[in-house]
This record gives sequence, C-alpha cells and structure tokens, in this order.
Amino acid sequence: MTAQQLKNSILQMAVQGKLVPQDKNDEPASVLLERIKAEKKVSPIKDDDIPFDIPNGWEWCRLNYICEIARGGSPRPIKEFLTEAADGINWIKIGDSDKGGKYINSTKEKIKPEGMSKSRFVHAGDFLLTNSMSFGRPYILNVDGCIHDGWLVLSGYNTAYDKDFLYYMLSSRFAYYQFCDVVSGAVVKNLNSDKVANAIFPLPPLEEQKRIVAKIEELLPYIEKYDKAETKLTELNAKFPDALKKSILQEAVQGKLVPQNPDDEPASVLIERIKAEKQKLIKEGKIKKDKFEAVNITSDVIPYEIPNNWVWCNLNDVVIQVADIDHKMPPTVEGNGYPYISPLDFTDNGIDFEKAKKIGKEDFDKLAAKVKPKRNDIIFPRYGTIGVIRLVETDIDFLVSYSCCTIQNTINMDYKYVYYVLKSPLIRDEINKYINKTTQPNVGLKSIKSFLFPLPPLEEQKRIVAKIEELMPFINAITK
Amino acid sequence: MSSLGNFVKRLRDIMRNDAGINGDAQRIEQIAWLLFLKVYDTKEEDWEFDDDNYESIIPEECRWRNWAVDDGKGTAITGDALLDFINNKLFPTLKNIEVSKTTPINKAIVKTTFEDTNNYMKDGVLLRQVVNVIDELQLTDYEESHAFGEIYESILKELQSAGSAGEFYTPRAVTDFMAQMIKPQIGEKMADFACGTGGFITSWLKALESQKKTIEDREAFDTSVYGIEKKQFPYMLCVTNLLLHDIDTPRIYHDNSLLKDVLDYTEDDQFDVILMNPPYGGSEKNEVKNHFPSDLASSETADLFMSVIMYRLKQNGRAAVILPDGFLFGTDNAKVAIKKKLLSEFNLHTVIRMPHSVFSPYTSITTNILFFDRTGSTKETWFYRLDMPDGYKNFSKTKPMKLEHFDPAVEWWNNREEITIDGFDKAKKYTAQELADKNYNIDLCGFPHEEEEILPPKELIQEYQEKRASLNADIDRILEQITGILGINTEDLS
Repeated sequence: MTAQQLKNSILQMAVQGKLVPQDKNDEPASVLLERIKAEKKVSPIKDDDIPFDIPNGWEWCRLNYICEIARGGSPRPIKEFLTEAADGINWIKIGDSDKGGKYINSTKEKIKPEGMSKSRFVHAGDFLLTNSMSFGRPYILNVDGCIHDGWLVLSGYNTAYDKDFLYYMLSSRFAYYQFCDVVSGAVVKNLNSDKVANAIFPLPPLEEQKRIVAKIEELLPYIEKYDKAETKLTELNAKFPDALKKSILQEAVQGKLVPQNPDDEPASVLIERIKAEKQKLIKEGKIKKDKFEAVNITSDVIPYEIPNNWVWCNLNDVVIQVADIDHKMPPTVEGNGYPYISPLDFTDNGIDFEKAKKIGKEDFDKLAAKVKPKRNDIIFPRYGTIGVIRLVETDIDFLVSYSCCTIQNTINMDYKYVYYVLKSPLIRDEINKYINKTTQPNVGLKSIKSFLFPLPPLEEQKRIVAKIEELMPFINAITK
Repeated sequence: MSSLGNFVKRLRDIMRNDAGINGDAQRIEQIAWLLFLKVYDTKEEDWEFDDDNYESIIPEECRWRNWAVDDGKGTAITGDALLDFINNKLFPTLKNIEVSKTTPINKAIVKTTFEDTNNYMKDGVLLRQVVNVIDELQLTDYEESHAFGEIYESILKELQSAGSAGEFYTPRAVTDFMAQMIKPQIGEKMADFACGTGGFITSWLKALESQKKTIEDREAFDTSVYGIEKKQFPYMLCVTNLLLHDIDTPRIYHDNSLLKDVLDYTEDDQFDVILMNPPYGGSEKNEVKNHFPSDLASSETADLFMSVIMYRLKQNGRAAVILPDGFLFGTDNAKVAIKKKLLSEFNLHTVIRMPHSVFSPYTSITTNILFFDRTGSTKETWFYRLDMPDGYKNFSKTKPMKLEHFDPAVEWWNNREEITIDGFDKAKKYTAQELADKNYNIDLCGFPHEEEEILPPKELIQEYQEKRASLNADIDRILEQITGILGINTEDLS
C-alpha cells in the first residue's frame, strides 16, 4: 500500500460520509440548496446517476447548480501581451503552484490589461482545474489574475461548500473519475466544461463538512510519516536481492561458498596444465604468442586470504586469450551478413543478433582471424558499461566491436566459474583500479589480462558454480 | 626464553599431522586444556609453598607433574598408553570431581573447566610431543610467565580467524581503549556477563595495575573481577587467562547470564563497572524471554544483555558496551522500550561509532561502543565517529586494529567539539528529547556509505531483516495511530 493509496481511501470515506459521524442537529444540506435558489437550468438527477448511498442530511447536486464554471481564454499571440509593467495582470500557469501543489500565491508572468478582454479574469478564493500534467487536480487561488484556455475556474461555491472540504473532495479519485471522459471504454483525460458542469457531487451539511476537514487534516501528518517509512521500505526491498547476489558471488570467489576437498587436484597443478595447453596452441599457430607479462602477485596486493589449495593468479593465466579486433568498423551490408555486435545489442541476459549490424564475408574473414568468439567465451565491454559481460551461448559466426574484448575460455577451466568471477565485487574493484578516466572511461586489454583471479581446483569450480546456480532462482524469487 | 618464540609454531607443526585435529578452533581447544593443567600445576606449587596442609582436588595420578613430565629416561607414557590414559582415566576423573557450594573456587575450577572439554588428538606419540613442548614452560619464573601471558594472548587472537570461534574474542585494542576510558579505581568491582576469553577482564587488570601499592590494594585488585561465560571452550580459556594473570581464585562462572529473572537481582548482584561485548544474533531458547519484563523481552540476545546490564549496574556505576548498528537503528517495540529505559534511568553520555572490519575476519559489520553511567537520566548524548586510520582500507589478520588508532577519539574525549566533514556529521551532541523525537533511532554520525561494503551473506541478511523489521514496526505504529483516529477497531484487523 502506498501513501497515495491510503490517502485516496481516506478521501473516499470522506466523500461517502463515512469518515465522521453525522449530527442530527446539523442544518441539513437540503436547506443549504434552498438557500442557493439558482436560476440556472440544471438537469435533474436520476436514480441511475447516483453512484453510492449518502447519509441522511446529505444531498446530491450538480456542480453547476452550486457554483459558476467557466473556461479560460488566451489573448493571441501571447508574446505580444506579456509585460513586466506594474499594472500587469497576473498570468496564471501551472508552474505557479506552491510546493504543496494546493495554492497559487503568485505568478511568474503578467499580461497587459488589454489582454483581459480576451481572457478570463479570476479572483482569489476561486478554484482552478487544469487539463495539463496533474489532470483534474484542484488549485486554490490566493491572488487575482487571468487564466488561459487550459484552465477551468469554479467560483461562487461558498454558500454550499466549505473551501477546504471542496478542495479535498475535488482531490479525490471520485472527482477524478467524474471529470474523465470515457470514450468507448478508454479513459481520456480531457477537461470538458460540460462534463465538469454536469458532474454530480455529494453535499454534506456545512457543519459536517468542517468536521470532515478537521479529521482529514488530523490524519495528513501521519500519512506523510507513513509515506516516508513506506518509501524507505520499498527502497530497502528493491536493493536487497542484488546486494545478496553480490554477497554470494564474493563468498564464492573467496572460497567460502563450498567446502574445500583436500583430494581435489590443487590449483597449482591446474595452472601449469593451462600453460602447457597454451604453449601447444602457439606451436600449432592457432594463437599468437602472448607478449603479456604476468604481474607478480605479492602479499600486499592480494585482497584476502584464499584456501590452501587455491592460487592467486592473473586472468590471463586461466584463459586461452583475451583479444580484440581492429578499431575501425567495417561497412555494413544490407540483408544477410555476419552480425557485428556491441553492448547496444545486449538484451537482459543475452545478445540480439537479429537486430545487430551486419558485415560482409571478406571483412568478417579478415577480422575473425584476430579473434572469433565461440560458445562459452565471454564478451567483456571495455568502454561504456565496463564489465557488464555476456556469455556466448551460440555457435553462429559473429564478431564483437572494438568496444569489447573476447575472453576465450579453456576446456581446462569451468567457463561458468570464470563468468561468475568476472561478475563478482572482486572484479568490480579491479576495474576501478585500472580504469582510465578519460572522456570515455575504459579499461585496457593489458589491464584486463592483469585482473587478479582466485583459482580453485577444477572440481571445486564445478561445485561453486552448482551452488551459485542452486541459489539464484531463490534470490530471483525475492524480487517481486 | 628463546623456546617461547617458537612455542606456537612448534605446536602447530606437530598437531598438523594428527588426523583428529580439524581446523584452528580444535587445535586451540586441544592446547587450551593441556595449558590449563600445566598452569594449574604451577599454581599448585605456589599454594603448597604457602600452605603445608594444601591438598589438591586432583587425584595424584592425574596431576600434571605425575603423568605429563618427561624426565628423558624413557619412562614417560606415550603412544597408545598415553591416549588410553587421557581418554579413559584423566578425562573421566576430572569430569567427575565432586564439588559442592563450599568448594573453594580455585579447586572447583578444575571440574568446571573439564566438564565439556574434549581430547581431539588421535596419535599418542604426537600427543606426547605436544605435552613436552608445553611442559618446557617455566611459569614459576616471573619474566617467562609474563612473556607467556603475551603468547597466550596471541593464541587467543587466533580465534578471530578460526571461523565461528571468533565470537569469543574481542580485539585487545578495543578492550584496552574501553578499560582506559572507564578509569578503573582500586576497590571497585567490575563484571563481564559474557566474558569469552576474558579480554575485558585482563584489560581492566592492566589499567588498574599501576594503582596496586599496598597489600590491601593487592587484595582489592585480585577480587575486583567477575565473569560469566556460557560456552565451555572460552570459559576454559578465560580461567587459564586469569590464572596466568596471577588471579588465583578467578571468579569466572560457567553459566548463562540470561537465565535469571532480572527482577530478582538485588544490590548484592550489582557492580561498579560493567565492560562487555555481548553476543548478537545468538541462539537462545524462547523461554529465556520469560526472565525479562515483557516490554523488554527481545529475540535479540544483545538486547537481553542490555537489560541485564541495566539491572546489574550499581547506583553511580559506569558501563561501556559494544553493540551492533542494529541496536542503534532498530525501532521494534522491545528496542524502543530498552533505549527509552536506558535514556531515562541512565546517563548515556557517549557513543563511539567504530569503523568496519574491527572484528575481521570473524565478521565485518560495523559496531559501536556505548558509554553510560547510573548518575541520573540522560540530558544529552555525544556521538563520535572514529574513522578508518590513514593508510588502512580495512583491518585484517595481518593489519589488525591497534590501540593507537583510538588516539583521535581519546583526544576529542576531553575537548568535545562538534565536527562535520564533507557535509557529514562526525561528532555531534543531541539532547535526550531529540533522540526521543527520532523514536530512539540513534543511528547518528554514521559512516557515509561511499564504498558500500560487501557484507557476507549472513550479516547482509541479518541487517536486511533488522532494517525491515524496524521499518515495519515504524509503519505499524503509524497505522495504529491512523486507525485510532479513524475509529477502526483494531481487533477487526487480523
């Protein structure tokens, strides 16, 4: 329940006569209506028109019976009528309302007195209704002035309605729906003066109106407090699932998510195996020799202790390669071609290859020789939304623009473990460590290769991934 | 003395090879009971020296001097014979020692220390090696004993990194700071109702040391401390700790402070000074709440301990207590009642906000020290945020918090001024009325969350649930007021 919903509910009670008890001694509304004795022609109210039962002593009446309703007007062209002169007339616009959105105490603009004849002059104490922005919301004038044709003015209500009661009544959902046009079932926000004039409203005894106002105003501060607390709660609940995900990933990369198994082949052996695999690929010409020099990992660099059979290393040590293609984007082709994607093509959790730019075969072949993303590789954006990674879950041929690099995983690692490490707060810290704060913040290829990487035994990687994927559906369930 | 330097390492190296020791906590527990027996034996030598009629409560064959000492001639029991002796003779005997209400404390502690203790080692030969290393200690020598006290502290400190055992240990920088600021006086009696390994007690003794001049002072010094500890392991560590600090009759009780009706406490149960770091998020049976007045009955153990403290602090007494942020911002009914009582019956004069990771790696949550006394109701409370010292991103095993990191707080203490940095309050005072107007949400002068600390899941979930509970309690309170004004019968609401 939002504070607005609570307020609406209370106003509805007010309008239906359920907020305060009736008092038999109050002068009934029927007497009030007699006193008005308007000479206007007002359509009678049929039983079908009545939306709910009202208490004894109350009456239903049409708005134009108890007050004057008129539309504003604009002198044109308006620019020629605007003035700063002392005899200028207040030109009332929606932006002139006060902080509380209830009163208009002053105006920013003024028009020349000549403009008055083309507009409508209104008085302090009158109510204004607007078509724009806060549709149907009432404003009380504390100044005189002129209104444009986007406004409706309600005046002369004092005999029937207490000013504050009228204000709260016109603020209710009931009034809102009375004013809305319903055009073939759809709600159209259009302030039609006839519709407003003919709208029927309940009229309580004047004394009861005052009691209702007092009750509403007694409640308002509590609704305000409720609003603050409810907003905080909503924010707390909104932030929690993401924070929990981050927390779990951080536990995972610290070796605290699953127990270690001393029988697992230790990470120190694994890292050598990967090294050997890469040497073999270089010999076979499948990848280029890497000029990257591993950063020496000393104890003052590591952010936390890892289990005994883990090893701290660089990202480069646990992948086949981290590579990108040429900066220059090749020309697009119409129709069939090879997808050339960037983070703009990222969807919630994947990549939209259909809508991506396409390039021709020659260009593709040339660039794919540098690096062609394969299934289980990771696309790592290095410009813009840095580190918002995507897993390659397809076998189609495509390329990634220079704004990203491709991290090619080895079969000797659990690629999903690499993926989760790259999503963890640890890597967020690494990114912040290396980020180049130029006009377009980015992280260099060399920096990415240097990212600190906590390496567990392969068997433990699989256990960690399984645990994370076991937990995720539950956390996602928390997000309502 | 040189053997002392390697003491811990030598034990660790031997015990690493024993299949029965799984992890640091068990290793420390194993060393603990052996050390206790060795220290106790040394103490008994003193007592025998002073009193010809001294009789040990330990049967002869079970006394350390008779089974543990290795004269190098190959007669000392080892291997399976030693294991059999330990498991089937020593432990059952010590666990079943008869004690009554009249048994002197210094004898009763043998039983209470061994009640739930375990022998984890499975290799008798390795066990003999461990026993021999421990027996090398010459604790009758004043300097060695004093130096060993430091080593013992370092063993206790290892608990901070030994998983859940970390809950028993409060970093000594913190206990020293609190003991200093509370200004102990000879003749006063202090208590810690969840004393863990005895950190506050030993810090108190350290701060009081300089006032010990006469024999009466000595007497007062020795009887100035009192502790209760619920769990066996830290209880044993605490008793040994005090014996090493020359407190021959350590008034430490193996008990649960929350199981006595607070309304039953009399002046005799009250203390001049209370220093504590109560456990939070603890697990107690629901019946525990029955010992507290219903408005103060909380599910949170830290809250219950606050009530115990309020009922056991003497008139004009002083207290310093470490509490988590949840106590400060929490506005559930019990917390509001507790804080209201605290501010109306006690003078909460200072709240120090400590930075995160003080207790790392056991937990990284932020904690706070509340200083209050029983001289009257609170007029105003000073809040002071102790920032992470320069050059530290966080505290850790290799870079722990030091007493000198409290220097800015000490300097500010006697010359209190309001401080604002970058628009955030660092030091500010509030009147009791202002705190009441905030509905006792006293999370003030807190840390600007520039770098959102990633809490481990347990703390994260706990903090989320506490905040949600507080907000829900706030919302329910407001709705109650609203339904009151609307005249809705709240019984109609489910």
